Amino acid sequence: MTRFLSRFVRTKPYAFALVLMVLLLIANIVAQPAFGNPSNWPETLAIFAPFAIAALASTPAIMSGGGGIDISIGPLMTVIDMIIVADLLPHGLGSPWIVVPVCLVIGAAVGALNGTLVTVLRFQPVVATLCMNFILTGLATQIEGTTTPQGSTWWTDDLANSFGPVPGGLITIAVVLLIWLVLSRTAYLRNLYATGGDDATAFSAGVDVTRVRILAYTTGGLFAGIGGLALMAVLREGEAGDATMYTLVALAAVALGGTAFSGKRGSLIGTLFGAACMYLITNVLSAAQVPDTWTDAIYGGLLLIAVMFSAGLANATQVRTT
Amino acid sequence: MTTISAAPRLASRHHIADLQRRFPLLQIAALAVLYLIGAATVPGWTTRSTLLSMLVMAALLGLAGAGQTIVVLGGGIDFSVGAFITAGGVFITELPSVDNWPVWAAIALAVAVAVAGGTVNGVISCRLRIEALVVTLGVGALLSGLLTGWVSGAVTGTPPAWTDTAVSVISDTFGLPVPPIVAIWVVVAVVAGIVLARTRAGRSLYLNGTNPVAAKRALVRTGWTWTAGFIVSALLATFVGMLLAGEGGGNLDAGDPYLFQALTAVIVGGTMFGGRGDYWRTVLGALILTVVSYLLEAHNYSVGVQEMVYGLLIMIVVAAYGRERRIRDRV
Repeated sequence: MTRFLSRFVRTKPYAFALVLMVLLLIANIVAQPAFGNPSNWPETLAIFAPFAIAALASTPAIMSGGGGIDISIGPLMTVIDMIIVADLLPHGLGSPWIVVPVCLVIGAAVGALNGTLVTVLRFQPVVATLCMNFILTGLATQIEGTTTPQGSTWWTDDLANSFGPVPGGLITIAVVLLIWLVLSRTAYLRNLYATGGDDATAFSAGVDVTRVRILAYTTGGLFAGIGGLALMAVLREGEAGDATMYTLVALAAVALGGTAFSGKRGSLIGTLFGAACMYLITNVLSAAQVPDTWTDAIYGGLLLIAVMFSAGLANATQVRTT
Repeated sequence: MTTISAAPRLASRHHIADLQRRFPLLQIAALAVLYLIGAATVPGWTTRSTLLSMLVMAALLGLAGAGQTIVVLGGGIDFSVGAFITAGGVFITELPSVDNWPVWAAIALAVAVAVAGGTVNGVISCRLRIEALVVTLGVGALLSGLLTGWVSGAVTGTPPAWTDTAVSVISDTFGLPVPPIVAIWVVVAVVAGIVLARTRAGRSLYLNGTNPVAAKRALVRTGWTWTAGFIVSALLATFVGMLLAGEGGGNLDAGDPYLFQALTAVIVGGTMFGGRGDYWRTVLGALILTVVSYLLEAHNYSVGVQEMVYGLLIMIVVAAYGRERRIRDRV
């Protein structure tokens, strides 16, 4: 049993996050019995969704290796939220057949642009996405103007609550995971792991590293498009200042989920567990009446502990295999 | 036939690129052009007070970017600069006026926190081989979170009067007609320039940034060099935070805008990850950014446009000369 457990922890990068998530789930239900009540789930999931999708969207770029990272995911989600609330809804373009494709196209296009900057123009990923971060934050501030735009429509309200029996937050997260599942049936994921592990070797082995990396950033952008929708549904307004918070929380969730920032190991499901951990921790702390002002300290501390744990694990396995 | 005619052209292109690598020609030209545009289109641009207020802003930006330059030259990146700036401001504002600490004790505590934080940044990223970006992001969030928790969400004290004098346009430095912060900036720039180019510590930093393995073979204490960079960065950021307290009143988010702006100054100046660049370029970068933001403000562009222009500026500069090696060249 112990051997099985230690093997599980070593071979599955997300084991730590999974165990932590289960413990926190129990802690939450003990601390506030209302948390376990199914009637509260749609609301909980709707708040969790943008948060989780921001983390999921940050993962592919990191997995593509070579210092890959996308620090423009938060602003991208904010811009998409802002475009729906300030541009589409007031002009009677609130139909899901218009809004959803617009979100996805903008997200994927920005992601593809990031990927092109990183691969074709050979920018450092941090620098490329920092540019994008600036441009998108500026754009969000520009669209926001002097008054905070507000709005919602029937189906986004359902998305913040539930479509019949299915919670809306579950749908947006499920769509992201479904897209990833489909991609993992193709050569995409294997190529991504190969590139993330060692780009020069992957290149020598015939992997089109440039295409794989552009696709990784594009996928992240696409996910951010869905995340922007989830954010808009729950906020019902466009607030440009929220963007920076998401970047930190998303990266912390990725680290907690066992994805190495060197790109050598990682998984999308781990990120989901990591994001759940972050969310559940804030939840249990507010139930225990810890003031909000300590939230940032806890996020920072968790991020550090998570990366140290994950790196310790990675270094330990490396020693064993060589 | 074509090769013969192409050869001299290629050579001259290489020559210019080589010159640019040694000397920041492009940045100096850009700064001059931008300044002249301002002088031509904005009334009152060349007055002494405008010039001094520009210099004060550039000095704050340049000092905030000094530590970042050192870390970036060593091959890392420091995302905790903003938190250390905030920490400097909060300590100098809160401790003397609310908790009745003597000012020297508040400064001592701020320095101790900076040294400790910088050490944590350097040691964790070096020993455990974790990307510096993630570690510093975590340390920054932890530090600013602890500060927020400590003051329960709002800073209530008032900063000491000298912080106001340091950044005030009308004050002078021992008779010299410039604000103290500008004088400090000049001193820091000269010291940083000499240390980076002429001392063993500076050469170790470049060597470590260019190739850590080769540096180790050349008996550079790589771990120590790496960590020292982060400590210096945290110390300088804390110092900037203290000086900024006079302007921002030691806000809990005083440091936030400086993180990305200082990084932009470093990149626009032409310092790139791993041993390419120097502090003089960051000085130029800070001046360019300041002139750009004054220009945009004078022509009534919003903050949003300003940020977009910053983004585009980095993009242009990096595209021009800051690119990585091709993957096919690294196989």
